[in-house]
Amino acid sequence: MEEKKLSEQESLHIIQQMIQTAKQEQKDDGKGWIVWGWALFIVSLLTYLNIRFGWYDVALFWNIFAAIVVLYFFYLLFRFFFIKKSKKVKTYTSDLFDKLNVGFFIFIIFIILSINTGVPPGKGFILLIGLYGFWILIYGTALNFKPSVIAAYITWAIGLAGLFIDRLIHPVKLDNLPGDVVNAISLERFQWVMLFHAFAVLCGYIIPGHIANKEFNNIKKGNILPGV
Amino acid sequence: MFKDLDPILHSQLRLAVMSLLISVKEAEFTFLKEKTNATAGNLSVQIQKLKDAGYIDVIKQFKDNYPQTICKITSGGVHAFDLYVKNLQAYLSVK
Repeated sequence: MEEKKLSEQESLHIIQQMIQTAKQEQKDDGKGWIVWGWALFIVSLLTYLNIRFGWYDVALFWNIFAAIVVLYFFYLLFRFFFIKKSKKVKTYTSDLFDKLNVGFFIFIIFIILSINTGVPPGKGFILLIGLYGFWILIYGTALNFKPSVIAAYITWAIGLAGLFIDRLIHPVKLDNLPGDVVNAISLERFQWVMLFHAFAVLCGYIIPGHIANKEFNNIKKGNILPGV
Repeated sequence: MFKDLDPILHSQLRLAVMSLLISVKEAEFTFLKEKTNATAGNLSVQIQKLKDAGYIDVIKQFKDNYPQTICKITSGGVHAFDLYVKNLQAYLSVK
């Protein structure tokens, strides 16, 4: 490319064109949301069906999912330390998301530990829905992606409704009931929590993820910039 | 009276590089080359001029035995770019 005298209009055009190009680098392809969302959705539904038909232990599918996530986490650690792949470009948002992802997973571990140390699983999953909403809102705001901002509020609304499952499904006090009845009612309530959880990840992750992916592909298709 | 446009920035490739770098945290040489469609030689020369002016930082390192050049805009570069755009806008609004 030869250097030539620029007119002011050409200068402005170059600035606009390059800033637009850089902006496209910040566009997310939504694949992370799609994979994470569908995985959570499937495990929630499998757990729902598992309770309904009494196939296996209630927590089986979540335990399998947790094992896969732990293995994936170790793979990420291995890749981070041994197969360092540098990005061609680092944006402020990608940097922010890398750091927030760590915080997000640490908070998930907090909730999972609390479920294993006394917090009822039904309430624990509602807390998870609240956390999803928070992360989705940050993502949508940072990338100025409206579907995620809207999805965050929908996710929170589902989580809020989920807090009242106890009052909607068999609204009775469990204190004086026989153990097997308590178990049956708790399982039925947990079934509903799983449906709420599936619905929350559908609205919060899957739908915005597919919208983001579609937008990303459209930009890629039309993104043939002439050289400056 | 219009202020003169900064001659360091008032060049096609240097302005393109600065416009890219102002929008990201840092970028590799290969990214800049790909997005500007410039030749490696020309891009190197223009990057050096921006570096000499104090508008960008250039970090040269090795990654997996391959040389890697990372560029990032400095606060002086941000200020110069801001001033350039303001002068450009003033010029265009009156023209």
